[in-house]
Amino acid sequence: MLSDKTDTWVPVALSQDLPTGQAMPARTPAGPIALWRSQSGRLAASADRCPHRGMRLSHGFVRGEALSCIYHGWTYSQAGQCLRIPAHPSLTPPETIRVATRSVKEAGGIIWVADGAPDDNPPLFEGYVPLRSLTARAGCSALSVAAGTKAAVEGFVWQAPGAPAIRLLPIPQEAGETLIHVLVTADCSASERIAASRAAESLRRMAERIEAKGGVS
Amino acid sequence: MIDDAMRDEWYPVGLFSRLDRDGRETTLMGGPIKVALDANGAAKVTGENGRVLPVSVRYGHIWSSLGEPKKPVFPIPEADQPGRRFVDVGVVRVRCSPLRAVENFLDIAHFPFVHTDILGSEPHTEVENYKVEIREEEDEVWATQVKFYQPQAAKSASGGITTEYMYRVPAPTCSVLYKTCPPRPGEWDVIALFVQPLAEDLCDVWPWMALFDDETPLTDLIHFQQTIFLQDRSILENQIPRLLPLDPGMEIPTRADLTSVAYRRWLKRHNYTYGAQLVAQ
Amino acid sequence: MKLYDYVLSPSCYKVRLMAALSGVKLEIRPVDFHPGAEHRGPELMALNPEGSIPILEDGDLILTESSAMLGYLAARAAPAWLGSGAPEETARIQQWLSFSHRLTANLGGARLHEMLLRPGDIGALQANGIAALRELEASLFEQKMRGNRFLASDLPTIADIACFPYVALAPDGGVSLDPYPTIRLWSRALRSLDNFIEMPGIHRLHELKPEPRPMPGRGVR
Repeated sequence: MLSDKTDTWVPVALSQDLPTGQAMPARTPAGPIALWRSQSGRLAASADRCPHRGMRLSHGFVRGEALSCIYHGWTYSQAGQCLRIPAHPSLTPPETIRVATRSVKEAGGIIWVADGAPDDNPPLFEGYVPLRSLTARAGCSALSVAAGTKAAVEGFVWQAPGAPAIRLLPIPQEAGETLIHVLVTADCSASERIAASRAAESLRRMAERIEAKGGVS
Repeated sequence: MIDDAMRDEWYPVGLFSRLDRDGRETTLMGGPIKVALDANGAAKVTGENGRVLPVSVRYGHIWSSLGEPKKPVFPIPEADQPGRRFVDVGVVRVRCSPLRAVENFLDIAHFPFVHTDILGSEPHTEVENYKVEIREEEDEVWATQVKFYQPQAAKSASGGITTEYMYRVPAPTCSVLYKTCPPRPGEWDVIALFVQPLAEDLCDVWPWMALFDDETPLTDLIHFQQTIFLQDRSILENQIPRLLPLDPGMEIPTRADLTSVAYRRWLKRHNYTYGAQLVAQ
Repeated sequence: MKLYDYVLSPSCYKVRLMAALSGVKLEIRPVDFHPGAEHRGPELMALNPEGSIPILEDGDLILTESSAMLGYLAARAAPAWLGSGAPEETARIQQWLSFSHRLTANLGGARLHEMLLRPGDIGALQANGIAALRELEASLFEQKMRGNRFLASDLPTIADIACFPYVALAPDGGVSLDPYPTIRLWSRALRSLDNFIEMPGIHRLHELKPEPRPMPGRGVR
């Protein structure tokens, strides 16, 4: 399964789930982030906390190339600089008011975030396209047992009877949960994708049953 | 952490009009309490092991304490003014620090973003200078000459006006705001937030009002205030850290936040730390 | 049309929202649900012995089920919201209207417990709520594969309005919406509709309004 070190790329979301001009919460090994896409399509990963009064920035709104906090409208650039404080419209906010940002890259329809600035690019999964993401209340071990296969660095491939093969990228989260990005081969039809989605749901059910029974050591 | 300082304060624990002989079970700073009417129709509060706790009935609410309050519940003189209507808005539970709940109530810069088109709207976002002091004699935080332009400031307002406010913190988990009153220029409408700390990150909020308004039906007044508070609730449950930082470093105030800065300083001075965190992390 | 309404009730909000989207002007009669329990008082029990709100009154017609109110408003003022009439689509709408009552029970029950101190088995309510959200997420995903952005078709119907409020307010009951990206996109599509109105707990989408020009400051900051 994928490393949870902070200097490697972690797949936090799918491109299709973050349209232009929107923000969403995501989790990384180094803490929660507000992942957002500006009007021009550029991605940014800001720490999910406004330094004013601690409100989650992932609840904020995107206008142009900036993200604003829903609480008081404090506005941040993609680089993390505070650009505007609506309570003081003529004030240029001091440079000290900023949010930490992370490296973010989009590849193969997947959004990857790293804490540092890795030299390499995120992996590409030739021939596969993202299907959807789901969260399981089960650990990676339970998932592996349910799939009957050992998880490798690039996730693993699994096939339910009557469904296309799916590739799963499991990412450990807090509280024993696992975020799973599901990929299918690019040639899958719409009905095959629906079958693949249902297969992923079955796998999740099996993994959660295993986890609930006492997990896997 | 319950400090003696906060233990000896009064806290709201129920609405008098909704109380009966069966009473209600609730919590005060982590300890179970029971609030009920006794055989004579008086309010009675008991803590763990049946220990009788101090009780006071003020502003439509029952107040109690885990310790020994040295003063009665703080005064609100407007509550004794003839012609006022009193509104028990009803309790709302919030998963946040009781101190965060109070601090949000003191803030106006969020009006255009959280109470959009009711208490404020873009582009009227500027917060002009106002006056803040800690009144030593009463030992209360006061903000005065606070002004904000509002599209629909109160149920009794017919259009946009610049509303003037005063804010007051008479107890660590209570705040009273005074706002200009359209039907009676020169008088203040009073809106109070009485916060019951259940745990350091959980509280029951009891809003209450004393208004000059003979026209608006009671339910409309209740709904208006509940609307405002519910809009704040989804902010309050998403602030990090949960506990209110009393030391500088974690959070950055501006001039618009002078009331909250004074409130945090006043809390720290008194060692009112239940619901707070001290060292910046 | 008169709506017996509680501003914080997601079920009442369904009706207010449908009215706004379909251009119907409702006469609102506020009910002191909390703290007054007026819905259980004599006047409202006479109108609806079940003791619930919303209640919609239009002349002789008194409706007490929110799904029926949505259908009535659409039929009167905006029939496109009832769908195309194709059997499959009609069935999907019926399915989601029934599903929405589960949401009232689980997500709504969790919200009442966490926010307004109503009794309930919070663990079970939240677990059932999560199960329902997962079903919704999976179904919305499958709809997307069929080229549909909404529950029954590529256009919104009363099925979406029936399900939206309790889903959007799930966090009020301690159930996070973070794990459901497809629900987030669907919710956003609804909140972006012309004539959409909010309720407390559902923020305005400020991004839909461009950055206003700041008012010239009157005082020094």
